[in-house]
Amino acid sequence: MNVRLILRLVARDWRAGELRLLLAALLVAVGTVSAITLFVDRLQQALLAESTSFLAADRVLSGSQPIPDSFRAAAISQGLAISDTLSFPSMVYAETSAGRNQLVSVKAVSETYPLRGTLRISDQPFTTDRPTESVPERGEVWLDSRLFPSLGVVLGDFVQVGYEKLKISRVLTSEPDRGGSLFDLGPRVLMRLADVPATRVIQPGSRIGYRLLLAGDDRALNEYRERFRDQFMASGNYRWQSIRESSPSIGSALDRAESFLLLGGLLAVILAGIAVALSANRYAKRHYDHVSVLKTLGATPNEIQWGYFGVLTVLGVVGVVLGLLLGTGIHLGIVQLLATYLPTDLPLPSARPLWLGAATGFICLIAFALPPLLALKNISPMRAVRRELNVTTTSGLITYGLGTCGALILLVWYSNSLWLTFWALAGGCLVCLVFGVIATLLLRGGRLAGMQAGSLWRLALAGLQRRRRENVAQIMIFGLAIMLLLILVLIRTSLIDEWRQQIPENAPNHFVMNVTSNEVGAMQSLLEEHTDYDGKLFPMMRGRIEAVNGVPVRDYQRRSRSADRGSPRLSSERNLTWTSELPPNNKMIAGSWWPSDTQESLVSIEQGYAFGWGLGVGDQLTFDLGGLKVVAKVANVRTVEWDSLRPNFFIIFSEAALADVPATFMTSFYLSPDRKRFLNDILSKYPTITVIEVDELINQVKQIVSRVTQAVELILFLVLGAGALVLIASIQASRDQRMKEHALIRTLGGSRRLIAGSLASEFAILGLFAGVVAVVGAEITVYALESQVFEMSYQARPWFWLVGPLIGALIVVTVGYLGTRSLISTPPATILRDL
Amino acid sequence: MATPILRANKLVKSVPTAEGLLTILDGVDVEINSGEAVAILGQSGSGKTTLLGLLAGLDLPTSGTVHLDGEEITAMSEEERAKARGRYVGFVFQTFQLIDSLTALENVMLPAELRRDPEPMQAASRYLERVGLAERTTHYPRQLSGGEQQRVAMARAFASRPRVLFADEPTGNLDLTTGARIADLLFELNREEHTTLVLVTHDESLASRCDRRMTLAEGRTVP
Repeated sequence: MNVRLILRLVARDWRAGELRLLLAALLVAVGTVSAITLFVDRLQQALLAESTSFLAADRVLSGSQPIPDSFRAAAISQGLAISDTLSFPSMVYAETSAGRNQLVSVKAVSETYPLRGTLRISDQPFTTDRPTESVPERGEVWLDSRLFPSLGVVLGDFVQVGYEKLKISRVLTSEPDRGGSLFDLGPRVLMRLADVPATRVIQPGSRIGYRLLLAGDDRALNEYRERFRDQFMASGNYRWQSIRESSPSIGSALDRAESFLLLGGLLAVILAGIAVALSANRYAKRHYDHVSVLKTLGATPNEIQWGYFGVLTVLGVVGVVLGLLLGTGIHLGIVQLLATYLPTDLPLPSARPLWLGAATGFICLIAFALPPLLALKNISPMRAVRRELNVTTTSGLITYGLGTCGALILLVWYSNSLWLTFWALAGGCLVCLVFGVIATLLLRGGRLAGMQAGSLWRLALAGLQRRRRENVAQIMIFGLAIMLLLILVLIRTSLIDEWRQQIPENAPNHFVMNVTSNEVGAMQSLLEEHTDYDGKLFPMMRGRIEAVNGVPVRDYQRRSRSADRGSPRLSSERNLTWTSELPPNNKMIAGSWWPSDTQESLVSIEQGYAFGWGLGVGDQLTFDLGGLKVVAKVANVRTVEWDSLRPNFFIIFSEAALADVPATFMTSFYLSPDRKRFLNDILSKYPTITVIEVDELINQVKQIVSRVTQAVELILFLVLGAGALVLIASIQASRDQRMKEHALIRTLGGSRRLIAGSLASEFAILGLFAGVVAVVGAEITVYALESQVFEMSYQARPWFWLVGPLIGALIVVTVGYLGTRSLISTPPATILRDL
Repeated sequence: MATPILRANKLVKSVPTAEGLLTILDGVDVEINSGEAVAILGQSGSGKTTLLGLLAGLDLPTSGTVHLDGEEITAMSEEERAKARGRYVGFVFQTFQLIDSLTALENVMLPAELRRDPEPMQAASRYLERVGLAERTTHYPRQLSGGEQQRVAMARAFASRPRVLFADEPTGNLDLTTGARIADLLFELNREEHTTLVLVTHDESLASRCDRRMTLAEGRTVP
């Protein structure tokens, strides 16, 4: 057939409404996928940009040695933006009559700092702040709010840092990378890098953290990393940090959000694929007679094949173009809708979402719509004279094979994850098997029950029974759609709950450190009196492992095969503590906790640290605590909830082991924002202690979580739309047959009410059965997803078994009623004549 | 001596059923001359429609041959048979078989379009006018009565200028009066176009208007 004829056939089919459902399914497929991916792409970029502000850069190269100039030059030549920071602890002295001093954490920054995120300042301590684009001028410093009471200074006073006198010009309220590593932070003093030499604080042996902040596009950053990987590794002095490594709680929130958004997208693709398949099947069935007539008129099988391929191509091009426009429109609508919650300047999307949308359209058509249309070339021309002739359709192997291949390609491409695809597919196969069996059993049982029922139900059940094969398939499809919706609702609820639990309300948001042993009692009482504090103060000292079972730690580290698995370095200096009771939020996984009165020198190791370095119960560790050697035996291995924001330690000793080692104490507590003044009281009373505020960090994490939640809700809505379309397509598939049967019943005297009632009952039963099937499938899949993908624990939900079938009945009856309204109102004579 | 345009030798058609092989046609010989009008008669299930399908190249026999205008269509592939149908054959069906998404004119244009004729509309309009439906060209099949639909079907069949016209119970779905008018039109057009007509029917009066009749019973020709 020539192109003109194909175009005319498409135009005629369009005019007759034959292609509308197929085009609608295609529009939903392309539109949903492109809307989701466009939105997700921009949101991810924005989330990542927002998260990188926790690093103040896209990547950070940090180390205890100065960063060589060659690293800097290479970064600039690679087109990356750079900024230097330098952190060190130091005593500062107030140049006032009181002349107080305080141990602080100084951060010296270059002019370009920060590369991501913003600094916030104010003109009074503990008051409303504002963002700023600048950094302290030469000769000036910005101080943390809490330093003002503890040093007894006001703006305009001077502080002495080393040999240099610097003017206090602003109150520093927040810096993007403050959350980096909690325990290195005392109250912050921010100054210019150029002022550091004059302070003369950098001496051999000083504890200084050097950081080279880097920002630029991912490819350049990765190339840079590859280029210097060997040098980083060889020297052992530098660490490469991205947001996922430096802030695990945000990293995992992002990972989960991505997994979830992808899952939402996958479901939309599968649903849209099913809708395309159903509408293509119906389109093909309605063309059986046309094809047989065309063949009697001389159309060859090849012409039929290419003709319908042409129809698909035209449809594909139109569908993809309109679908992309629709997707862009929907995504713009979403952005508009969520404008108040989204960053003001969302980055522009990459081309990937559009490619993905277009490819989805064509792959959907080839995989789901091509097989039934290809089968048309096999229609015998004899069908024109013998309508009852069976149609030789494409073999199941090709149909399902193509469908599965298409789904696979889309799933893998879309998710970029073989693992997620595997689970989606395994779930799909299992669901089909389980659904098929349950649906068959339900239909059989329903027929038996229907024998006892009134004519309306009997008619409905007979209808279901008569089209048993189709109905099993429909129950499976409805069931699948409802299951996907249930899964989405459940996973969404679990995810959000999990996220909320991750940072519980009233989680500690302040740390107190440097409390001396004779201040412990008073501090405990002060906290209990003014806050809801019910914890305890932990002794804390710095120390490092010197030997493992007598082997010097550097040798042991080299020998260990897990050396580069990302575990914290064994030889690094760490915060150590001792306690007689297992701290809350810690769980023993090997060995046993020591009796509170033990006199043995024992140690407890955190799981990741122990397994990463092959340490186990019974190993003997030698520690160096500021020159003091302590030998202790590993008594147990435990897990730690790092996100609990309580004092957490990699290494905990028994009291006997460290009884003679001098220690300062620390703890964490919750303080509501309106009671921040309490910090003033503490610091005025105990000027030598250090208070670290982490509420800003927690707020930032919560903000990210809430945005992700909104995105998730939105995707639920889009998938719901795709699901509804599947239902409509599925009802349309049996529409012709239903019309004929109902016209006959009405001709035989059946009332319109009987037809409407039996239809409603049929859809209700279908929906109810689909609901039962969906609940079974959803329970299995959610269990698998929660345990394998999202790493959550399984929760039983009995309400589910009631709600699932009810939702099923409700949705199918509603959509079914809308889809068959014309069927009930059309006079039987018209229907019989049209058929 | 007239040359046979259609010749079938020892046609056998069997189909597998649950009860075993069912023989629908059992060694039927047919010879139809160019310009001749032949009626195939027989009771329901006698094999009339199957014979029509085999003669027109819509289906293949289990054994035996069919020659259409000297070419053995039973030796052709489906692709070649379709082309042969387009060249030689026209159909009028009992159930009209119009494509419901196309207007009357578009239905009549279809064969010419498939043959890629440069001006399909001209001939189609002429034939629609000939069957008395000049005013109904833009109507869809569902907007036409049964008799009108069959007239469109006849216009479509003759518009393809077939050598042989196969008609399967062309009046079977129509009332007596309409049926008679359709039959008149069919024979008039057949005469005007010098077409060979193979007519499958139950209707004795219709059969009597043909040059020759052939009766089938249990898959065989009855003398």
